[in-house]
Amino acid sequence: MFITDIRKEFYDVVVNQRVALLVSSDIDALCACKILQALFHCDQVQYTLVPVTGWQDLGTAFLEHKEQFRCFVLINCGANVDLLETLQPEEDSIFFICDTHRPVDVVNVYNDTQVKLMIKQDDDLGVPSYDDIFRDEEEEGGDDSGNESDGGSEPSGKRRRYDEGEVERRIERQRAMREWEARSDPKLLNMCVYMYVCVQAAMVIFELAWVLTKDTKDMLWWAIIGLTDQWVHDKITHMKYVTDIATLQRHVSRHNHRNEDEDNSLSIDCMRISFEYDLRLALYQHWSLFESICNSSYTSCNFKLWSMHGQKKLQEFLADMGLPLKQVKQKFNSMDMSVKENLREVIEESSNKYGMKDIRIQTFGVHFGFKNHFLASDVVHATAALLESTEKDDSPGDNFIKALDCLSRSNLERLHGGIDLAKKKLMAIQQTVASCICTNLILSQGPFLYCYLLEGTPDVKLFSKPMALTLLCQYLLKMFVYGILRCSCLSLLPLIIAAPMDVEKRTVIVLGIPPESETSDKKNFFGRAFEKAAEGTSSRTLHDHFDTSIIELKMEDRTKFLDALITLLS
Amino acid sequence: MDPSEVEFLAEKEVVKIIPNFSLDKIYLIGGDLGPFNPGLPVDVPVWLALNLKQRQKCRIVPPEWMDVEKLEEIRELERKEDTFTPVPSPYYMELTKLLLNHASDNIPKADEIRTLVKDIWDTRIAKLRLSADSFISQQEAHAKLDNLTLMEINTTRSFLLDTLNCMYKLRSNLQPGSSGGKAQDHQ
Repeated sequence: MFITDIRKEFYDVVVNQRVALLVSSDIDALCACKILQALFHCDQVQYTLVPVTGWQDLGTAFLEHKEQFRCFVLINCGANVDLLETLQPEEDSIFFICDTHRPVDVVNVYNDTQVKLMIKQDDDLGVPSYDDIFRDEEEEGGDDSGNESDGGSEPSGKRRRYDEGEVERRIERQRAMREWEARSDPKLLNMCVYMYVCVQAAMVIFELAWVLTKDTKDMLWWAIIGLTDQWVHDKITHMKYVTDIATLQRHVSRHNHRNEDEDNSLSIDCMRISFEYDLRLALYQHWSLFESICNSSYTSCNFKLWSMHGQKKLQEFLADMGLPLKQVKQKFNSMDMSVKENLREVIEESSNKYGMKDIRIQTFGVHFGFKNHFLASDVVHATAALLESTEKDDSPGDNFIKALDCLSRSNLERLHGGIDLAKKKLMAIQQTVASCICTNLILSQGPFLYCYLLEGTPDVKLFSKPMALTLLCQYLLKMFVYGILRCSCLSLLPLIIAAPMDVEKRTVIVLGIPPESETSDKKNFFGRAFEKAAEGTSSRTLHDHFDTSIIELKMEDRTKFLDALITLLS
Repeated sequence: MDPSEVEFLAEKEVVKIIPNFSLDKIYLIGGDLGPFNPGLPVDVPVWLALNLKQRQKCRIVPPEWMDVEKLEEIRELERKEDTFTPVPSPYYMELTKLLLNHASDNIPKADEIRTLVKDIWDTRIAKLRLSADSFISQQEAHAKLDNLTLMEINTTRSFLLDTLNCMYKLRSNLQPGSSGGKAQDHQ
């Protein structure tokens, strides 16, 4: 059931109990976890923090802790699957779920006692009413095909499995880019085909802190990082990002207004968050401007930096702005003040000439102490690099703790370490993308584009992790669409990428992203498609990840899985 | 003594806070505290004030001496006089550090206060060094210093005592062939 009053129904309940916090491994979840931990410290609530990377992990963690805990808080996991069936808990266990993944499983919505969802009900969830779903449980089969207008009245019952023809037709429509919203009753059917994300978990927990009037600037900063993570990894639309930025901007002004006074100015060590309309160049203040331009997806796609022509264009661009090459290749902090002064405006003006209209993006930055200035996206890249670091002796639990640490202000060395790792990751992504395009590794398979990273590719270990692979996939698709094809119909295809995951076990990680377009609503249908294809060919797959569009597959089954997918989607 | 022990003792000092919760009087071994009512100032020891501040349950009111003008006066006075002037609080250094680390958003002009307190500390330590130096060079038998705080004493204690012990050893070995020449162990 949905929680309406988060303070009374969630916080007051857990504050007197021992809580198990099961947190998924993504940055939004990390931020939400940090805020919740800070709240728990204020009220001295005993909790156990367990990082989980997938459904199996969740199951094991639950089994280990179910004896000792009654209250479980799940962050960014658990909403889109029937939780009670998967975990089989005792009668008195309560689950509080704060999850960005949609659609929410209907059983989770309509369970009144054990599952509580910390989601605002007025989010456009499209949850059908109770009667619509739980009416005829014995009803099997039942053709719910293409009858859009009756979609709501004659539902498919509680089952979420559809016959092949239904799924194929739906996915075909998506492929032609018809908007699902045009349908009158998309509700239940739409719900189960598409995966998307909604309000970030960090924002929900921050609002809880705000209601308790315990919100601090640190918590606000973490909420900002949660939102920026969703934007950096391209999980939300631009509209949603801008709306959420506006909400956060209100909180930022509230905090700034409260503390700043002419006479009693704050100590320089206090944290100051400021709204910035800053450049969309990754990590540019911790790197040289030149490197940052070469390794950010937006600029390198627009300049087509994998080609000689693109490199020349970049030189022209720099010359046009009047920035000497020597300055631009230096570390940003050591650039001349005269060059740095109007840098943003100068770059914006020049980039307009080169067709990059959105080089600046609204974001937030933080200052504390004299030396430390970070943008939200810097922290997101650093934390993501730490979370998925592929160094020799790092276990996922260790990485989780390191990434969690780097979010606090007192661990600046870790943050800087993260920034260095992030630089390496971005450079690796850039080189891989360049080589993929140059060697034509992206093949059109009909209904989608496909790319397979061979085992010998440099830095392929980095891409065995979901977030890094997602970034690579998005850069690749953007590069491909903007760089090679301007107006052909191929540019509206989604992209599936596969990379070796574990060499001993001979598995590959496969993920798919929706087509790249300005009006894309970022809804991803590959979850169902993968499931169907795997079933159809009895390939050995592991649908372990919370994001259903990412799966693990045995190397040998790759070809038949792909063939099944092609048939399914065409 | 360890500086952290001195800080521990400093935490017993009393400071005013404004809580945002309510609680009846609490009876502790060291004394009674409270009652706490939201918005009404109450005196508590520094250790409790810091704990409540970190749990966002109160606002700390800076002590009266922690003010830019007062500290500037004290600093000027300290620089003029040769002897030690009275200090604003017997634990001024520790309190400044604790309060400015944890509650700098409640203290106006925190950076200037930090600089001023450091200046006062530096001046006093310089005087202490001078005085110890003259004590040793003039081979005085006893000296009296007023208005020293525990932290300052603690800073020089081990060094000064070790030095005096060494000097005693050296002096007593100067007597040729004396039976008292055996140096005593000093800890």
